[in-house]
Amino acid sequence: MNSPWQIMTRGDWLVTVLLLGIALLGIGWLAATPPGSRVEATCGGQTCFVADLEQPQEVDLAGPLGMTHLVIDGQGARITASPCPLQICMTMGPARHTGDLLACVPNRILVSIEHAEDETPYDLLSR
Amino acid sequence: MTCSAVDPKRLAAARRRVFLALFIALAVSVHILEALLPSPIPWLRPGLANGMTLVALYLYDGHAAWSVSLTRVGIGALLLGRLFSPGFWLALAGALAATAVMVLLHCWAGRRLSPIGVSVAGAASHVCGQVLIARWLILRHDALWQVLPPLLLFAVLSGILTGWLATLLIDQIGQHPAFKTVPTGPGKTEDRVA
Amino acid sequence: MPWNRPLIIIVLVLLLALTWWRLPSSDPEVRRSQLAMGTVVEIVAGGLANERLEKAVSAAFTEIARLDRLLSRYQPESDVSRLSAPVTEVRVAPETAEVIALGLDVARRSQGAFDLTLGRLKGLWAFEEDTPRIPDRAAIREALDGIGPGALTLSGQLVRKRAPSLMVDLGGIAKGYIVDRAAQLLRDLGVSYGAVNAGGDMMLIGQPPERPWRIGIQDPRAKGSVVATVQVSNRAVVTSGDYERFFLRDGQRYHHIFDPKSGIPARLCQSVTVITDSVALGDALATAIFVLGPEAGLDLLADYPHSEALIIAADGSHHASPGWAASVVSP
Repeated sequence: MNSPWQIMTRGDWLVTVLLLGIALLGIGWLAATPPGSRVEATCGGQTCFVADLEQPQEVDLAGPLGMTHLVIDGQGARITASPCPLQICMTMGPARHTGDLLACVPNRILVSIEHAEDETPYDLLSR
Repeated sequence: MTCSAVDPKRLAAARRRVFLALFIALAVSVHILEALLPSPIPWLRPGLANGMTLVALYLYDGHAAWSVSLTRVGIGALLLGRLFSPGFWLALAGALAATAVMVLLHCWAGRRLSPIGVSVAGAASHVCGQVLIARWLILRHDALWQVLPPLLLFAVLSGILTGWLATLLIDQIGQHPAFKTVPTGPGKTEDRVA
Repeated sequence: MPWNRPLIIIVLVLLLALTWWRLPSSDPEVRRSQLAMGTVVEIVAGGLANERLEKAVSAAFTEIARLDRLLSRYQPESDVSRLSAPVTEVRVAPETAEVIALGLDVARRSQGAFDLTLGRLKGLWAFEEDTPRIPDRAAIREALDGIGPGALTLSGQLVRKRAPSLMVDLGGIAKGYIVDRAAQLLRDLGVSYGAVNAGGDMMLIGQPPERPWRIGIQDPRAKGSVVATVQVSNRAVVTSGDYERFFLRDGQRYHHIFDPKSGIPARLCQSVTVITDSVALGDALATAIFVLGPEAGLDLLADYPHSEALIIAADGSHHASPGWAASVVSP
């Protein structure tokens, strides 16, 4: 039984190294993105919670399976309790860079970190 | 499977069908096994089932590879009860992208690429296709692009694993008399790397 | 072997995919603003074919104009003008009767903090004209004579006034009622999501494709910034504030929301936002709460189910009803 390293041709290495490079570049770029400032959560596809990342707080987000507990602290946003069967979302935090995601898909909850000033945060103004 | 009275071409075609059916069955099993694995972003899978597509590609040809991958996605979705669900579209997108890239690469590069290289490229395409479709149809959130680099890294590693397993399988199955007698087109079974 | 023709299969699958998924076609959205009811009325409508949307929006503006003729103080033939004439009894249109019934109910429940008979007082302050002024005490006292929840009685479509000198001013609730009717017309014409916004009195119909309507609530002391953003669908959002029509004299802010007890601008709040089922009710409640102040205002609100409020008190502090937070998405 040959090990993969014995089988791999020069072309294989080229492809592998090229793709690895792209992936690592992407990861480096992600790590370099500035910290976001706004936590936005969608429940079932609709925005259900928006908060300042700098303001520590805890909130329960309702999904079809129950409450997902979101904690915002100095480190970022984390999910500390969720009724999802595998509870993967609890291991995904803390999220603090713009674009970071915490996804509790069985409970249809998606938490993302955004830039606060990307657009007017409302459709109409009540005055 | 030795029936001398039969026309060798028809025998070869029948053997091909039988082997493809076996590959598809194996691919479906792996596909379902994968679907049961936990994953940080649901529906995004390493694409180990692409290994069977790879085997079909190396032992037969591009047509065989397409048959295995598309049938695998269709039957897998039926068995998992998620035909036309988001998971189905992601699996389909991944399979289409991966198969297209693998068939084209195998055709262009010939023996300059072993199954491992083709598999790595296929796995990366698989992930890219999935993220593309997921962004377009399911999560419609630009943050989704952020999962691409880590998944790509993962895909390269899982692609090496898949390609290696596929190579072992190709070597094993390739010794079967069926593949010794099958008249293959240029650059098919000969591409195997010992 | 059909599996040998992968291209055909891919094309078929893709066709199937497209028909199955029916990608949300970029729905047209019609957005039109017009001057009506003495303010800018903006209507947004979506979820239909473009020409049907245009027709629906035009129909809504026509309905607004029709109802405004009935309820405006500036149209001599309107029910409100007829009610303000020195008479004791007026037979009004069913729409007017509906508005008055609602107004009287809020007037009674708020113990006169909301009043439909402030026509003379408002005329005195002249906020609707170019040069508002501070009237003298005697004039104010006289203008308040006879007003109160019992000043009008309604039986069917017949409105009776306690005194002929009373002048009716439906104020915001007429505007709110007209917005409600326009929104209902849009719904009846098949508009699946939209908004009717008349200077801060707004009704949100349905929900836009991506998410519910997000409504920014104006910061009463910082133009252009918001104190909160709420997310609603199929609700009315009404804000009454002291920053819309006001003048400053000797460091004192004089605005257009009057305390019927004193006849001078209410001093307890900077702004009140009410989220409820109808704009007319929301407007009446916002005005009443503005006059009552945060504590008594929230007590009044507790009588109305499905109604929430955010009160910004005179000192700038925020007071929200218990259910308010559920609709707030930011801050």
